[in-house]
Amino acid sequence: MNTTLAEVVRSRLRQVDSIPTVPAVLRPLLDYMHLPAEQVDVQEIVKLVSYDQAITAQCLQLANSPLFARSHRIESVKGAVISIGVTRLRDVLLSCCLVNLVPGGKWAVNPVAYWEHSFGCALVSQEFARKIRFPDPEKAYLAGLLHDIGELVNAFTISDQSRAAVEMAMDQKIPLHEAEQAVLGFDHAESGALLAEHWQLPEDIIEVIRHHHNVGKARQVRSLVALVSLSDLLCRMRGLGYGYQDTAAVDFVCDPAWSVLEQEYPVITQFDLLRFTYEMDEYTEEVRKLAASVYRN
Amino acid sequence: MTNPSVVVGSAGQQANRPSDPYLVKIRDLIYQLAGIFQPDNKLYFLEDRIARRLKALNLHTLREYYDCLTLKGDREAELRNLLNEITVGETCFFRNNFQIDALRKVVLPEIVEVKGKLNFRKLRIWSAGCSTGEEPHTLSIVLMEEQMGQLKGWSFEIVATDLNERSVAKCKEGIYGDYAMRNVAPALREKYFQKQGEQFRVRDEVRASINFSRLNLLDDSKMLFMKGMDVIFCANVLIYFDLASKRRVIQHFFNNLLPSGYFFLGHSESLFSVNDQFHLVHFAGATAYSKTPRKPAGVAK
Repeated sequence: MNTTLAEVVRSRLRQVDSIPTVPAVLRPLLDYMHLPAEQVDVQEIVKLVSYDQAITAQCLQLANSPLFARSHRIESVKGAVISIGVTRLRDVLLSCCLVNLVPGGKWAVNPVAYWEHSFGCALVSQEFARKIRFPDPEKAYLAGLLHDIGELVNAFTISDQSRAAVEMAMDQKIPLHEAEQAVLGFDHAESGALLAEHWQLPEDIIEVIRHHHNVGKARQVRSLVALVSLSDLLCRMRGLGYGYQDTAAVDFVCDPAWSVLEQEYPVITQFDLLRFTYEMDEYTEEVRKLAASVYRN
Repeated sequence: MTNPSVVVGSAGQQANRPSDPYLVKIRDLIYQLAGIFQPDNKLYFLEDRIARRLKALNLHTLREYYDCLTLKGDREAELRNLLNEITVGETCFFRNNFQIDALRKVVLPEIVEVKGKLNFRKLRIWSAGCSTGEEPHTLSIVLMEEQMGQLKGWSFEIVATDLNERSVAKCKEGIYGDYAMRNVAPALREKYFQKQGEQFRVRDEVRASINFSRLNLLDDSKMLFMKGMDVIFCANVLIYFDLASKRRVIQHFFNNLLPSGYFFLGHSESLFSVNDQFHLVHFAGATAYSKTPRKPAGVAK
């Protein structure tokens, strides 16, 4: 990592106000992420969420979207817990928190596109996990949701330089991390890992954030890292990128992440990737609709 | 509920009805003779198309029509009539913009690099199952536009084939209505089409690089001569084929495609479990098949 810039990122992260508008509900939610669902105090979550009207409204919007919803309409946070369960509610709330973390006007990335990509990647990671019988699809959802938080870090701490990187990526239609390496000397995976450590996220989530663009370097939870890496790539290839699309021919089976998954989940050799792609396309439309309604409020 | 067998409703409703054995016989006959197969859940579609022929011939039962296809002297002509009804498709210019972008932004630059080194500046692109010609004409327009950029100094040939004689005739005519033209940008409409009454005629220079002909993709002897293709498009054709026929046709496509080439299917089609020689490749919003594995994502050239 470029020492000077990296130091700037580190020191700004230490300042309490450098990442503003962190909803009050986020901290306890992050703590609950370490707990099994049955140990979560549901009343406590309901109370926390109710303090924040914006989060409550977003939470209900998400919980009622076809991506989460059950047959009947959910009218309250308590109803959401009963209807979709504690784990899903946690996913929904974290997705809402991410909406509120996204910086405003001065960011080069369209905030809606950022959220769509993160949320889309969460859903795809979770479905992909289910398909290959990965034991913890909920973990895959979280990892997918948070994999790019480094973009937030860059936007808040080194906004000008980060803008130059984003503009280069869009201009040349290359992946963001490549442009960041060229412009900043490091990428959002590294700065994301700094924030993840700062927030004391679970180790496996930190590992995904740090290595999702370089799966070969992951030493722990390599399958989870690989799974999110491929889901991230699929999202970028199917219209859930950062408002632009890479010009590339991508052969997933030749991707190093694919080989990593193959070692632990040989079932992937029988996996119908193209059908999965078509299935995930149905998500894309729902994610867009949801993003539009969440950001209108 | 109403007994489905007495409902004269939409094709979808008829799907629940136990099939007339002659419908299955006709299906098997079409497969045997033409190599186009309608699976059971598409029999209502076949029945719907046969109904048009029944009306035209003033016949009343599937059995009479089956006899017509097997016993009468003009049975081959009638089979073609039926195939025309089956394969006639709804299509338009610039139907799949993701595919066109993949062609322009990824496929052509790759081919230009490979063939440019060999100083062989000619492209050969096959629109297999070109229907009424919207696809090959679109390709010709796209490549003519590229001849002002990355294809400067290059020539190209578009081989456009279809089983359906009527479609091939329509291709050669090159006259289209508003519906087919709905995705054509005004500037391209102006540049590559002539207004002819209420319709649009494709300009001669667009047609000049296209060779239209009738071809049955299961005609092995003819398929052997379709060599040297840079890109093959085959949309919504193989869906009508059964597994063995698909495998045969795809083997021909594989053999006829150059090593650096790509094979595009229609939207929502897949070769999964049909062929394991081709490598699935993702482009932005589109997919294709390649003969050789591609370099890992994110690895610079």
